[in-house]
Amino acid sequence: MAKEPIPTAKGVERLVEALRVLPGVGPRSAQRMAYYLLQHDRAGADLLAQAMAAALARVRHCARCNNFTEDEVCSLCRSSRRDPSLLCVVETPADLAMVEQTLSYSGMYFVLMGRLSPLDGVGARDIGLDRLLARASDGEVQEVILATNFTNEGEATAHYIAEMLRARKIKASRIARGVPLGGELEYVDVGTISQAILDRRGL
Amino acid sequence: MDNRATRRRADNEAGFVLHTHPYKETSLVVEAFTRRFGRVALLARGARRPRSAMRGVLLAFHPLRLSWSASGELGTLVAAEWAAGLRSLEGLGLMCGFYLNELLLRLLPREDPHEELFDAYAGSLARLSARAPHAAVLRGFERRMLAELGYAPVLERDAATGLAIEPERRYAYEPDRGPVAVTGREGRPGVGADVVVSGRTLLDLARDEYECAETRDEARALLRALIAHRLGGQTLHTRTVLMELQEL
Repeated sequence: MAKEPIPTAKGVERLVEALRVLPGVGPRSAQRMAYYLLQHDRAGADLLAQAMAAALARVRHCARCNNFTEDEVCSLCRSSRRDPSLLCVVETPADLAMVEQTLSYSGMYFVLMGRLSPLDGVGARDIGLDRLLARASDGEVQEVILATNFTNEGEATAHYIAEMLRARKIKASRIARGVPLGGELEYVDVGTISQAILDRRGL
Repeated sequence: MDNRATRRRADNEAGFVLHTHPYKETSLVVEAFTRRFGRVALLARGARRPRSAMRGVLLAFHPLRLSWSASGELGTLVAAEWAAGLRSLEGLGLMCGFYLNELLLRLLPREDPHEELFDAYAGSLARLSARAPHAAVLRGFERRMLAELGYAPVLERDAATGLAIEPERRYAYEPDRGPVAVTGREGRPGVGADVVVSGRTLLDLARDEYECAETRDEARALLRALIAHRLGGQTLHTRTVLMELQEL
């Protein structure tokens, strides 16, 4: 005997469907979220809807560093206290925030919003390498610090950027990798130790 | 169906990661190439957590020892260990590695063991890691892969006459048949789709000899055509990405 479908409002279905665009959200979690918002937190849902609409309308990419901003050029790129001779290339805004937290870097940034990923078909155009090259060739930048991830994709990205910069006679450097600060060898994964041995430096 | 009846366990199997993609919030689906089980898809639970022990291990191009259990298409990775310290691939070598992985992902069906192809792959990565000339590594692997998948290219006999290949002659290579001697100077009209190579290239390829520049160019074009034939119209991402990079 076929069960009759549970009646649901069109709006609920559309909300569930819309929530599924979020990473890691499947049909079950999407349904939970939708019911939660409609049942327990309509004010929160309204806030969410407005924030999302406002962000979509106003947030764009900074013309200089490609990070998210509401202005043509973001506040970091406009700041007079930053060193314009250094340009640090990162994959994501989260990576930029991480480098900023160190308080040990005061140069400028360029956010790729991705990385080369040959197996997924993500190429130079998808991550705006042409814009990075234009940015690095502004005459003020003396050194480009490549702070992409230490994955194969991040390494490939760093390599190709370095090659293109070399062809334009701009100095490029790669952030160092190895045993983490405060790390005890006993508890560090072998891959990292193996690379640390290969990348050892003289004292 | 009873799951327990078909549940398999594999312990400490030699394997490589070909590719990974994120799965849910903290997990990873790993496409692995293993020596005894061929290509398998494995779920690595929690592998994307910041302190996951698997994070620094589940990297492509490094020989690993993998343990997993599986009852269906997607197995569950139990352990992954470093099996040898290859120097990481760099630069163009890294792109070559991505290319080999894409070939395997596109052409090798899942759970179809090919131990010799696995050994050829491991050997190719070791040579790339040791900075061997890329062309020789790639052509050698391409040829062996086609052979392992049942499409070994005919390289020593004319497919039409059965005569031995003559180094000085030109041959049109028909993907499903093999080399056929070209009679005219420009090649026969109407076979424009076939790659035309010298007999010398075919013989060099048969011996994995890539010293001669003409051999390298022709062998590259020939294997590219043979692989394209097996891909049936799909384009290889790695090739597109590389071409795009060269334009900048």
